[in-house]
Amino acid sequence: MKKLISFLSLSAIALSACTKPAGDGDPIKIGLITPLTGDVASLGNDIMHGAKLKMEEINAAGGINGRPIELILEDGRCAGPDAVGAAQKLVNIDKVVAIHGAGCSGESMASAPIANAAKVVMMSPSSSSPDLTEAGEYFFRTYPNDALKTSAMARFFEQKGYNKIAIIGENTDFCEAFRASLKADVGENKVVFDEAVVPDTKDFRTLMTRLKEVDFDVLVTNAQTPPVGAAMLNHMREQGIEQLAIGQDVMDTAAVIELAPDASEGLHVINVQTIGDDTEFGKKFTAKFGKPQANMAWAAYGYDTLGVLAQGIGSAGTEDPALKDYFNSMKKYKGVVGDISFDENGDVKGVSYALKEAKGGEFVKISDVVVD
Amino acid sequence: MQLLANALIAGSLAALIAGGLALVYGTLGVFNLALGQMVLIGGYVTWWFHQSLGLPLAVSIIGGIAVGSIVSWLTFEIFVDPFYKRHRFLPLVTTIALSMILDAIILLLFEERPKSIWPEQKNMFDVMGVRIGQEHILLILITFLLLITFAYIMHSTSFGRKIRAVVQDDHAAMSVGIRAYAMHRLIFVMSGMLATCGGIFIGIDQNLTPVLAFPITIKAYAAVIAGGRGNFWGAIICAYLIALLEQFAVGVKWFGAFYIPAGYQQSVALVFIIFFLLYKPTGLFAGRARIS
Repeated sequence: MKKLISFLSLSAIALSACTKPAGDGDPIKIGLITPLTGDVASLGNDIMHGAKLKMEEINAAGGINGRPIELILEDGRCAGPDAVGAAQKLVNIDKVVAIHGAGCSGESMASAPIANAAKVVMMSPSSSSPDLTEAGEYFFRTYPNDALKTSAMARFFEQKGYNKIAIIGENTDFCEAFRASLKADVGENKVVFDEAVVPDTKDFRTLMTRLKEVDFDVLVTNAQTPPVGAAMLNHMREQGIEQLAIGQDVMDTAAVIELAPDASEGLHVINVQTIGDDTEFGKKFTAKFGKPQANMAWAAYGYDTLGVLAQGIGSAGTEDPALKDYFNSMKKYKGVVGDISFDENGDVKGVSYALKEAKGGEFVKISDVVVD
Repeated sequence: MQLLANALIAGSLAALIAGGLALVYGTLGVFNLALGQMVLIGGYVTWWFHQSLGLPLAVSIIGGIAVGSIVSWLTFEIFVDPFYKRHRFLPLVTTIALSMILDAIILLLFEERPKSIWPEQKNMFDVMGVRIGQEHILLILITFLLLITFAYIMHSTSFGRKIRAVVQDDHAAMSVGIRAYAMHRLIFVMSGMLATCGGIFIGIDQNLTPVLAFPITIKAYAAVIAGGRGNFWGAIICAYLIALLEQFAVGVKWFGAFYIPAGYQQSVALVFIIFFLLYKPTGLFAGRARIS
């Protein structure tokens, strides 16, 4: 009996140790939603590694006001339903103070309402759909709105004298928003061919057969994932279509060149600035995680986004209106990708684009693109 | 004409997988929902042999098929054999479980990045106004050859008759000296082999991603059901038919006035199949199949 009592009291002590109230040394929990598996996983993993790098740096320097950061990783699989489940878990079970993400625009569209309802700041390093400008007051993004990119692309077409535009894309949130925005910017009457396929279609032969009969100047490859974009390029060049192909962020990855080494030659992309492997950030990243799976820029955005979040939590604390208000009025945050601040809709300011071309197995910058 | 060529390429791929499915579902009556994963294993293993180990393509393909066959044999022994005799729906559950396990293993071994066995530009040339690659022609021909061999064996040899006898009644077949269980095993492995070939086809013609498996399986089911259960020829013809419909749906200017938006490409073909089945619920080719 004595033994039993002593055992019970011992276990009671042990249990009470588990429920110790939150103190100063406790980690600050920040959720992270991004595609960690699936077709866009390469992008998601770069973002996640970038964020991890920042977390380790902050924690090594003593954390935020003495408290370390703990990242809770969730796989959004680039799908709305998965991201919603992830956001629910982060908000209700993990009780995170902020969410780094989501990755894909579709993930962000679906999960932002949850963050808004729970009054948790959500900051995406990669969602660029123009629709997200109206995603609510708790949604921010360090990645530029696609509306800026499509207007930059329209200006490029104008400079080159391209008047007949063909667009082939997937009918996902991100691609459809990009397509609508581009059509508005170049003018509906200049679009001579416009098709959107079911997501993950990899057979573009018949569309290319039809495109071949059309008189056009440039094809916009508006894919959601690199494998689809690569298939598009392969089938385009297989049909002997010689015109220029131009893409958005998705196409600006090593995976596209790897999957279509011949067909991607000469592909143009308008995207955020490349972060080279030989930059200070690139060296830090490569030493820790090796070469990025998709693109060093994703890692940099993941890194900077956690930096912005950490600075906000450090200055304004984790309480509700204070943190959100801090980001709304934040002065420039000096990041790897640029000087980040936000406009009244939570869209980033201070990040610029570049026009790049695939040449001999890598993307080479042709020129800077001014953003309005 | 170009549309026909496009349909032949897409159809050959669909037919390989539908053929694999027609064997297990059509003849054995067993649902194998892990067939899409078998496809991926074939493609990925071949990719690994060819691109990572640097083996010649032919050797890699043989290796891919061999590994695929072994995996489907193990699948039969562990996930199908102990269950399907009790109820033919049981493997439905066990193979879903297997498909999840295989998905995870594929992710673990080959990571999430897309792979291509043959990323380079195909050797394209023009023939009678059609632009097609030499590699594509080879793929189409090999598929034809494979499928015709299988169909011939199934429908026109004594070995095929044994298989069909086993399918109809194990015990009656055994009473005339056919080793029924060995036949089941063989059918299953052959179906895995066809699926594996499908995966290699995808890896050469397009590229492989780990999320590919489920949609492939669904499409193959459509072809098998539309073709009439138990009819190997029917499944294959329907696979080509669906591919042809898909290409015509978006490639033809309907009534000279409009194109069907590419987003409806797959639905149009499947809706067509549904209407056909309303008229002939047993499938397009069920009537012509020999019953005994």
